[in-house]
Formats: sequence, C-alpha cells, structure tokens
Amino acid sequence: MSDYPDIPVLSTRRLVLRGPEAGDYPDFKATFASYRSRFMGGPLNSYEAWMLYAAEIGHWAIRGFGMWMIHDKATDETLGMAGGWFPAKWPEREIAWIIWPEKSGKGYALEATHAVRRHFYERQGWQGAVSYIDPKNLDSIRLAERLGCTRDPEAATIDGSDAVYRHPAPPVAASGQIRDGIELEINHYCDPLFKPKGMPID
Amino acid sequence: MSLTPAPVLDAPRLILRGPERRDIAPMIAFLLDRERAWGFGASPDRGEAWRWFALNVGHWHIHGYGYFTIEMKGTGEAAGITGIWNPEGWPEPELGWVVFDGFEGRGIAHEAAARARQWAYEDLGFTTLTSNIKPGNMRSIALAERLGCWFEREYDNIHMGTDLLYRHPGPDAALDRDDDGSVEAYA
Repeated sequence: MSDYPDIPVLSTRRLVLRGPEAGDYPDFKATFASYRSRFMGGPLNSYEAWMLYAAEIGHWAIRGFGMWMIHDKATDETLGMAGGWFPAKWPEREIAWIIWPEKSGKGYALEATHAVRRHFYERQGWQGAVSYIDPKNLDSIRLAERLGCTRDPEAATIDGSDAVYRHPAPPVAASGQIRDGIELEINHYCDPLFKPKGMPID
Repeated sequence: MSLTPAPVLDAPRLILRGPERRDIAPMIAFLLDRERAWGFGASPDRGEAWRWFALNVGHWHIHGYGYFTIEMKGTGEAAGITGIWNPEGWPEPELGWVVFDGFEGRGIAHEAAARARQWAYEDLGFTTLTSNIKPGNMRSIALAERLGCWFEREYDNIHMGTDLLYRHPGPDAALDRDDDGSVEAYA
C-alpha cells in the first residue's frame, strides 16, 4: 500500500515498543508453539504461527494501528507483544498483549499496555477499547483489572467463549486513581521497595 | 519504521502492484467463494479471509515479495493476484496466480504470472521457481504448462494436503536469455 503507515516507536522506563520485524519471528514462534499460547488460539504449527505473525504485521497497513514488539530497552531482546488488534469479526478495537513465558512476572505487560493505551487515547483519538480474554486466563484477567478494566457482560464477544473487559474511557484512564496506581506498580517493578536478601526456606 | 511496499510492474494490458485497501472486498469475495478458491485455499469465514489479506501485506514485509494485485490498465479493476509465496512450511518459493470472477479466458493470469516470474528472476535474483497445484486443478496445470513448467513430484503440503509441485524453467530459459539462435536454446 502506498499509504502504509509509519509504525511509531514507543518508549517506556524499561521497554521500547517497535513494529514487528522478520528477525523477531523466532521468539514469536516459540511462544505460539507452546502451551503459553493456549488462550490466544494456540498452540500453532509453524505454518499457522508464521501466517499469524504476517497478519499482525499486515494489520498495521489496513487499520493504521496494530501490535508492537516489546523489547528490553537495555538488551533489545524481545519480551512479547502488545498493541491494538481489530481484525474482521472483532466487535470492537481490542488492546491485546502476550509476554513470552520465560519473561513473565516482571510487569512488562502492564508497562507495555499502559503505554499502548495512552498512545491510542492521547495520539490516535480512541474513545475506548476492550480486551477479549478467555475466562480461564486468570493472569490476563488480573492484568486487565490492574489496568482499570471491568468486565462488560453486555458487550458482544468474538465467539461466545471469551469475556469482554472494558478499558476505562480516556478521562478515567488519565485520572490519578488509575494512572498513578499503574505507575506506582511499574515503579515498584523497576525499584522494588522491599528486596528480599534470599528466598525463604520452607 | 514503515512496512516494505511492493514495486509496480508494467505488463502490456496489466499493472502489478502491492495490495491496497480497495482490494480487500474483491479478495475477500474470492476467498469466500468455495468453488473458485478451492485450488488456492478458500477461507471458512470472513474473519479468516480478512486475515489472509493482512498476512499477504506481512508476507511482503518479511520476505520482500508476496502477492501483487493484478490491475487492469484503463479500468483499474482488480482482476486477480499473482506473486511469489513462501510462508514457513512451504517446500520452496512458488509462483502463484488467481483470476477473479469475470476475468478468465483472456490470458490475464498468463500475462501476469509471466511478468511476476520475470521480476523474480531479474530483480530478486531467484534461480528457480515452483508452482504448487492441487491435483485436479486442470486450469492451473494448463497454465503452468503454457509457462513451460513440468511436473516434478507429489508432496504433502502443510496447509493444502496432497499437492503437485511443478517446476518452472530457470531464468535463462524463461527469459529467453540464451537466444543466440543456436539449437540448444530450443532444446
């Protein structure tokens, strides 16, 4: 498309979000071949994983937004993906995320999705968003709640098997109640107030 | 960062160009037409068809090649797609072609595929190409043979199942490079 959009680079305290590149594919494939991807339509065979990755890239050209690759700012290694996802059949624009299994538990998804949502709300004029989450995906439900989302039982689902979590509207997401809470939590991941000297022995 | 665009190629009656938003509707209509898209791989629903359109754009970005839209000179209509396809799991890069409803019987696929092949050989530096054809897709087999291809083997495609692999003549033969008039050029 002659009108391919530029994919902006988003920078946060620990992360850099860039458009997905061919060289990042092996990390994506590893996660989508694994049990980790069971709530995102996986596990996928190599053909399916490649096609999904290519679709995530092409989504940018069609919609003007899409999924970013999350990189560690210091090492540049990839940690997962986050961004906007709105293929055909999706009732509403979704904010989506996936973190590679070995990179979980460090607040990367929170930091990335917080930045992504701010970008969509403040630079692209989104008035809201949802996240479609498998009801068994407790980690993602917890993350949605930390982002200030609430379950919207009235909203249309993708195929009936997913729960719809509605993100707070821009003014609410920008309020201290939500934003300061998220940033406090991210700060705590960056600089833990309590650093245990060792693991307890049970 | 921006996505890798396709070049624009000129053929006598056609233009080959990258996929654009205006191609989404005809492409989805084709992919949802089980009968027409049988040999290509029909999409079970609109969501999957849309996704195919998106992943072709991604294919261009990842490989620097993919499916062009075949545009009719003059009217600007999208008549089909042709290009080089090589997702993970594919045996090797293949030259593919599809003509949309209402554009058959005019040699459009032949003209477009020959132009895409020339581009792959001259501009991308490919030294060989294949076309994967579903057994029984007689129209595609006939076109492959008109393009000088020969049947090489049957294999199991990761997405399409049992498939026939046709081999294209290499750059010299396909592009008539060896046209010094000597006998071997026509052997």
